[in-house]
Order: sequence, then C-alpha cells, then structure tokens
Amino acid sequence: MASTAQSANTALPKGVSPLRAGTGTSFLWRRLHSLTGIVPVGLFLLEHLISNAEILNGANAYNGQVKFLTGLPFRLWLEIFGIFLPLLYHAAYGVYIWWRGENNVIDYALKGNWFYTLQRYTGVLVFAYVAFHLWTMRFTGIHLTEHYDASVWKVQTELAHPLMIAVYAVGMLAACWHFGYGLFLFAAKWGIVTGEKAQKRAQVLGIALGLLLTLLGLVTIYSFVTRPAQEKNPLWEQPVQEQSQLMAPAATVR
Amino acid sequence: MANKTVQFKIKRQDGPNSQPYWDEFEIPYRLGLNVISLFMEVALNPVTREGKQTTPVNYDSNCLEEVCGSCAMLINGKARMACSALVDNLEQPIQIEPFSKFPVVRDLQVDRSVLFENLKAVQAWVPIDGTYDLGSGPRVLPQVQEQAYRLSQCMSCSCCMEACPQFNESTGFVGAATIAQARLFNMHPTGKVLKEERLAALMGDGGIQECGYAQNCVEVCPKEIPLTKSISDVGGQVMKKAVLDFFRV
Repeated sequence: MASTAQSANTALPKGVSPLRAGTGTSFLWRRLHSLTGIVPVGLFLLEHLISNAEILNGANAYNGQVKFLTGLPFRLWLEIFGIFLPLLYHAAYGVYIWWRGENNVIDYALKGNWFYTLQRYTGVLVFAYVAFHLWTMRFTGIHLTEHYDASVWKVQTELAHPLMIAVYAVGMLAACWHFGYGLFLFAAKWGIVTGEKAQKRAQVLGIALGLLLTLLGLVTIYSFVTRPAQEKNPLWEQPVQEQSQLMAPAATVR
Repeated sequence: MANKTVQFKIKRQDGPNSQPYWDEFEIPYRLGLNVISLFMEVALNPVTREGKQTTPVNYDSNCLEEVCGSCAMLINGKARMACSALVDNLEQPIQIEPFSKFPVVRDLQVDRSVLFENLKAVQAWVPIDGTYDLGSGPRVLPQVQEQAYRLSQCMSCSCCMEACPQFNESTGFVGAATIAQARLFNMHPTGKVLKEERLAALMGDGGIQECGYAQNCVEVCPKEIPLTKSISDVGGQVMKKAVLDFFRV
C-alpha cells in the first residue's frame, strides 16, 4: 500500500500479484522446509526423547546412552549434517514463512486457522528454546563427549530451578505439538492423505502423537528432578582440553 | 413489530485511490431481506441514518441466487455472498465492507482480475480448438463426473482467497480456487493433455507450495467445494512430477 501511495495517487493499487507460472525456486525451498521438519529434524526429536527417557532405567543407563551416542562414528558430521544444518534451515525458513503469512485468526476463528496460527507460534517458541537449550547443554559447561558420566549431573543441574523446569516443560510441549501437527501438514501437503475424512483423522492422529510425546518428555523431566542428585566429579572440571574441543574427534572419549 | 428496523453500516470508497469512510443506514424491517436488498433500499432513498444525503452504493451483483459469484464481500467480517446473506441471520448493526485483499474500484466493488489471471496461468480449460472436427470426446466415468461436478461449481467469487492468510501481497499465493480448477481439468480425459503444464505452472513462485493449511478456504466456500482435498490431491500430483522430473529430465 505504501508503495502505491507515494506515487502521487496516480497509479492504481495493484493488489496481490498473479501466479508466476513455472518460474522461481520457492517450490523447492518450501518443500525442503516441509521435508526437513520430518527428516531429519523430526526423526532426531524422536531419538532425543527416547534417549532422554533412558533416565527411567536409571542414571547409569542414561549415561550409557550418552556414551553410545557421543561415541558414534563421524559424530560431528552426523551432528552438523543430520541436526544442526537441517534444524537451522527449518527454523530460518520457518521464520520467513511466519513473517509472510497474514494471520487472520481473529476474523476467522476456525479450528484449522487456530492450528495454522499455533504452528507458527510454536515454531518460533521452539526456535528460541532450542537455541537456549543448545547453548546451555551442548556448547557450554562440561562437554559430554569428554565426560559422558557427567550427563545426569548436567541435566539435573540445568533443571535445578523450578523456573527452568517450566521453561523445559513449555519447550517440550511446543516442540512435540509442532512435530505432531507438522506430521499431518506433511501428509496433507505431499498428497499422502488427501480425503476430507482422512485428513481429519490424520490431524487427530498427529495431535495425539504430539501430546503423547509431550507426556513422555514430562515424565522424563519428572524422573530427572525427583531422583537423588548426582555428585559432581572434580575430574570433569580439569582442563585437559579446553572448550574449543567442539571440533575434536569422537575418539577422545574414553 | 411495526417499528422494527435494520441497522447497517457500509465501508465506502469513492475511487481506487480515495480514502475509505463509513456510512450508517437504518431502514424499516421486512421479512426475508438479504444484504443486496439493503443496497436496493439505499438506492431508493440514499439518506444515511443521520439524515445526510448520499449516493447509492456501488456493488457487483448479477444472479442473486448464489451461482454467479459477483456479490462477494465482507459481511460482519467474513467473506461471503451478499445475496445469500439473510438479514434475519445476521447480527446488527450489519457491517459491510469490500474485500480487503483486492483493489477497490468503488464502494463494495473490487477488482478480482487476479483470479482470472491465475486461471489463465494454469490453463483452466479443455483445449479443443483446432482446424477440424475432433469428434465426440472420450467417456467420463460417472465416478469421475461426480467429483468433477463439485469442482465445476466454482463461481470465481474469490471468498477462498480473501479468507486465506497466505493469500497476500508478500506471498502472491495463487489461492485455492485456481488449484481446484487445475485439478478439475487434470481429471478431464481431454483436459488432461495440459496436466504437466498446469502442474509446472503451480510449482512456480506463488504456487501450491504457499498453502499453509489454515483451511479457511473450505470453510468459507459458498459452494462447499472440497478445496483442501483438491490442494492435497494436486499437491501429490506436483510432488510426483517433481520426483519424476528429477530422475527423468
């Protein structure tokens, strides 16, 4: 509107431009956004939640799971190409999608429109939460690739404050909801589930899965918080190699 | 009952670049009034509620039975047809506005030519023009006819586009109606010949990928066209094309 107003009221307002048939690359980028949400980001979320739930089998089981994961061959490359880059792309393009949408849920307070809105807000929320979570658990503090046995202690320290538990609970709900509903969106957009009834079913299933995963996450948080606090081992603090060890090969783990 | 009235206000605009303003009206109630008949009352006696002389309201309309798609506008904030909006079912004062995402021509009349451009872009027709008689076309199975019939009811009212959060100036999204028409002509045995071109068009910028499944389109569609089903169906068609193109072109 602003651009038309400044041209001295002579040019007519143009409105929404017609389809740029067959030109541009947004199809590829948008569908890539959709795909990365499921594979690998969604898949990683599932792995992460299930690995976290190892705490239900005890502190040793949890630390053992961290040892297994951090000991995977090509761990750093798996992280970069399997998690960080796809996650960053999904998040950045997601913000771009959110920014370009013209939310009208106030005028059209309909179920699907609420879910559309929620998908955008949970996305932004999860972006902020994951950035924070990565900072505190992956990029700062005692590094778990060097001290897998510090894992339970590190999580318990992170969750020491009730406010932090709330942050993690909200982050959990937002992430799981976004993934669950995102599964339905993927199925609808890629033409896997097309029928009206089938889409309603897929929507319910997606949301149910999201809530189920949230429950799993909350039980995991509860288990961390309620079990006896782990002692801090002074050995973990010893500056064998400093924090810039992000690039160190996984083999440095005992 | 004798003194019962209908109160309504109309967002008006004298020309494409002039400032919009509101006119409030109050007319005697009659049984069975619809929103179009309110405009007719105003045309008979163009005086606002405050007694100010004004002009008849400018609006598009034609069939007055919800099949032509002309009289689409925002009634109490929702995109719908004025002819089928019955006063008895509306909360008063009825608020009537032109569509917000299309350039206003005057008052409630907007320029919806973007839909026509979009339909042309996806070649929403069956190509039969030629230099000789092609004879009768292939048979269409009744099951296909049933599906096609629902899609063929689209009257280009543009309600689906107006209600869509993704249809705006930054995305330039094509909108549900055009995608449903692409599906209609893709399922026609003769129209199918342009299927690949239609899908390629819909994969351009502003194409089918911009859909965010807010599903407002299917809720506001006056003809109850299965728009989300159509978007998913064509979504599958374009994915199939994208994958095949990747391996075979």
